[in-house]
Amino acid sequence: MKIRRIGIGAIALAAASALMLSGCTTSAPDQSKGNKGTITVATTNEATSFNSSTPQGNLDTNGMIVYLTGTAGTSAGASLGGFFTLDDKFQVKHNDNIGTYEKVSDDPLTVKYTLKDDLKWSDGKPITADDLLVGWAIGSGYYNDSTIDEATGDVTGGTQYFSLAGSTDGLDKTAFPEVSDDNLSLTLTYSEPFVDWELANLLDKPAHVLADKAGVSEEDFIKTLKDTPKGDPANPVAPNATLKAAADFWNTGYDFTSFPDDKSLLVSSGPFIVSAYTPQQSITFSKNPEYKGSDEPAYDELVLRFIGDSNAQVTALQNGEVNAIYPQASADTLTALKNANLETFEGNQLSYDHLDLNFGSPVFQDPKVREAFLKTIPRQQILDSIVTPVNPDAKVLNSQIFVPANPEYSDAVAASGYDSFDKPDIEGAKALLAGATPTVRILYNTDNPNRVDSFQAIQASAAQAGFNIVDAGSPDWASLLPGGDYDASVFGWISPGAGNAALAQIFKTAGGGNYSKYSNASVDEMVNQAQTELDADALSKLKIDIDAQTAKDFYGLPLFQAPGLFASNGTVDGIKFFGNQTGIVWNAQDWTLKG
Amino acid sequence: MAAYIARRIGVSILILIAASFIMYVLAAGSGDPLRDLRGGNAANEAQLIAARVSALDLDVPAPLRWFLWLGGAAKCLVPFANSCDLGLTLDNAPVATILPTAMVSTLQLVTVATVVAIILGVVIGIVTALRQYSGFDIATTFLSFFLFSLPSFLIAVLLKEFIAIGFNDFLQDGAAIPAWLIVVIALVAGLIWMVLIGGSRRRRLIVFGVSAVATGAVLVYVSLTSWFLFPGLGPVGLLVVLAGVVFITTSLVSGLANRRALLASAITAAFVYIAFFVLQGLFTISSAFTLIFIAVAALVVGIVVGFLVGGSDRGQAVRAGAITGIVSMLLVFLDRFMQAWPSYVESGRINGRPIATVGSGTPGLTGDVWVTGIDSFTHLLLPTIALLLISFAQYTRYARAGLLEVLNQDYIRTARAKGLPERTVIMRHAFRNMLIPIATIVATDVGALLGGAVITEKVFAISGMGNLFATALGRTDLNPIMGYFIVIAIVAIAFNFLADLAYAALDPRVRVR
Repeated sequence: MKIRRIGIGAIALAAASALMLSGCTTSAPDQSKGNKGTITVATTNEATSFNSSTPQGNLDTNGMIVYLTGTAGTSAGASLGGFFTLDDKFQVKHNDNIGTYEKVSDDPLTVKYTLKDDLKWSDGKPITADDLLVGWAIGSGYYNDSTIDEATGDVTGGTQYFSLAGSTDGLDKTAFPEVSDDNLSLTLTYSEPFVDWELANLLDKPAHVLADKAGVSEEDFIKTLKDTPKGDPANPVAPNATLKAAADFWNTGYDFTSFPDDKSLLVSSGPFIVSAYTPQQSITFSKNPEYKGSDEPAYDELVLRFIGDSNAQVTALQNGEVNAIYPQASADTLTALKNANLETFEGNQLSYDHLDLNFGSPVFQDPKVREAFLKTIPRQQILDSIVTPVNPDAKVLNSQIFVPANPEYSDAVAASGYDSFDKPDIEGAKALLAGATPTVRILYNTDNPNRVDSFQAIQASAAQAGFNIVDAGSPDWASLLPGGDYDASVFGWISPGAGNAALAQIFKTAGGGNYSKYSNASVDEMVNQAQTELDADALSKLKIDIDAQTAKDFYGLPLFQAPGLFASNGTVDGIKFFGNQTGIVWNAQDWTLKG
Repeated sequence: MAAYIARRIGVSILILIAASFIMYVLAAGSGDPLRDLRGGNAANEAQLIAARVSALDLDVPAPLRWFLWLGGAAKCLVPFANSCDLGLTLDNAPVATILPTAMVSTLQLVTVATVVAIILGVVIGIVTALRQYSGFDIATTFLSFFLFSLPSFLIAVLLKEFIAIGFNDFLQDGAAIPAWLIVVIALVAGLIWMVLIGGSRRRRLIVFGVSAVATGAVLVYVSLTSWFLFPGLGPVGLLVVLAGVVFITTSLVSGLANRRALLASAITAAFVYIAFFVLQGLFTISSAFTLIFIAVAALVVGIVVGFLVGGSDRGQAVRAGAITGIVSMLLVFLDRFMQAWPSYVESGRINGRPIATVGSGTPGLTGDVWVTGIDSFTHLLLPTIALLLISFAQYTRYARAGLLEVLNQDYIRTARAKGLPERTVIMRHAFRNMLIPIATIVATDVGALLGGAVITEKVFAISGMGNLFATALGRTDLNPIMGYFIVIAIVAIAFNFLADLAYAALDPRVRVR
């Protein structure tokens, strides 16, 4: 009896085990699945959002995602699935894979965008002028009736729908666009000429996705856009619920911390589409099946791996775990790369350091003192100690407006003569000072070692000519900058590469970024002209003249461009340096795997 | 007892709240969360700052903001409500969602390292104590202190250079070991075994000779067959290894003189050996759960066998059977992992260079449990070794000192005087008592474990807790700092508490009141 019971128990146990085992197994995996044609690139920062146009999403790796998948919008600009890209000279290149856009009239400025027929989003829905209209609605801030407190940036009244990291400048001067009958083209009319009309990429997030998130059909969403009047900050009205829901989703819905279950967030118009994401490790792009353009990559998958430590990037590259890296440029990293016999691509980034003289300070009222001070600046020495170790080919920057990659650069240097200030001329400075020993307080960021080095070099050199240099550096330099309680400042700008919005901010009297209180009536006039100049040659001429005029006024000196660095281990062909924020992936569509 | 526990928990909560307040205010005062925006060149800087200020309530002074944070954090205590609100990061990501990912990567990274460090540290500590002042003792002491004092980033770089890149090059060159290296390794192995086993001069010489020749022979075999490219134990190798497992397990658990324990161990090993042939088909379609189930089954078989053949001293036989069962089954798994190795190495994403230097997995690699298991192994190997080399030193020291102290106790002398075999004296009388201080250290160490290893995580690009904290502190990103703090504080407090309880349980002289 007992034995029988044990026997039954054993059988029951065995049966239960078998059942459990069969429940826990998986089917034999398909081993034949090819993993060929993957290019892996290491980037420094992690990805956090599929929308890089919002204030919190405006980070470099997010910008890469948006560039590759094409849903950039007006704020992020160039993208492979948008209306334009930039070439390595920072020239706007129209992207005829998506469509065309052209200026049809100068007065009033009218731009016509025409989509190619039969274009599709990656989810199979057609790309139409509806999508352009949505992109315009986002980028123009047309519906905003908000009042913004200039000092604090707070919205004090009304509704701000889409919150952009960039600005609505230019597009805010457009009337409600005209859409063609075939729903493939859209015409924008500007109320005043706008120099950067070519940088307005109207293809943002898909209309059908935003409509869906707002809980309405695409037709109703477009109808809402058509029916809602332009916002008037003077008479704020109750927010439109549909528009608000879509905007709220656009503002935060694209942020992610894990791979989204909702695939509509991934919808792409470019050659790539996000296909996988491992938090804090990597993001994978595969080919967009609906993409028909010429930028289709010659490989299957592109992986961006997030590796914060530059040395870890180098060893990973050496070990073949990644095909290329985009580290933070430093002399140590370059040495490590050279020692490991890896291929490096050095170049200049768009951000540049410069020395500005404060025209509001009593010391620099006399142009002779300004000239004398600029003559003492050891620009070559600063370059040699900071940039040359990372980029041996670097040269002193000789323009306030252009970078050497721009075609206008050499003309600008010839006109301005900034290149005559490359080495300090202590005797010349002494002669100009004629025995005076002016005190100069220099503001800079003490947390940035490069700025500290620059300051020390300037201090040592200027003292020889009789200047009494006072260290006014501070970690809070940025908040001290507008105050003007200093005589000179060393800090950085990001040169736009393409676009001219910065001119008015920096050089115009009382411009938003004109911290040095520079004021010159003829420059003001040229800047105003430049903002509305639609002829490319005339615009170049104006910018060169502005550059030359600043040199004549001893505005200050550009110092150097920040160095940038890519590297590869020779397994990928086609990598080329580019100084824009898009970084290494700017020509990922042209890469090919070797062997 | 219950009152004591209640009191401890109550005090712990108060400590936690007070500490979080201090942490919050200090961290808030450590920098400016708007610095990146202020220094930036964005046209609408004021607007960006306003957006962040309103998202993170930065306009509220830090001591008051702490109450806001506490209010959100308190919601985490509501079970199953999923209303945990630990605030947002500067990038607008909710801390409550990024914290678990960071915890998982940290656990993945440090668990194996900690467990291996404890086992290896204790074993080496015991051996050095038993061979006090021998060459082995001095060499081990030197080595462990040397590794202990090496900075982890240096160890990491050396490991990457020699273990990862060097080993991968070696694999790509056909995995043939140079002759001089075989000779050196064989001699070193012979030396180690010689000092370990000890005895008379003649015996030592024999041990040296035999182990050096055996090691050399194995290495020549490995080199000639390109074993590292196509590894595997095979039926013969497995049989040899299983015999070793039976031998070592029995001699540690009961001594070889206990024939019933030896029999239980051997029978269990035989069952596992049969399972090795029977289960290969099942392995191909296994998931991780299947493997756990099989391992548990092997354990149960070992226990049952021990119980059935144990006779008068069942306890020892059951223990020998159980340990043999699980260890042998793990070896069978190991063999299966080795069988999957060539397909992993040849896979298009690995390209013949398996040992990785960054991250915790190959992006986009798909495969069965064996391939993904190997992938985790190749990625976590280096960081685990780096952590292990640094942390195992202290365990060897504690274990060595503890055992030496215990061996000088009166009851050890008494046990020896009774005529107990040396194995029983060490394993049963000394080892147990030595474990008491180690248990306390382990408990507090586990508390520190979740804190992550900031430098190791950074160098190996594994975004765990340490990285989360370091990055957040660098940007004065308050909410992730507090999320990190809350996890670490709770674990530390809980494990200190557990350590106290464990102490009371292990040592009857300690009472919990």
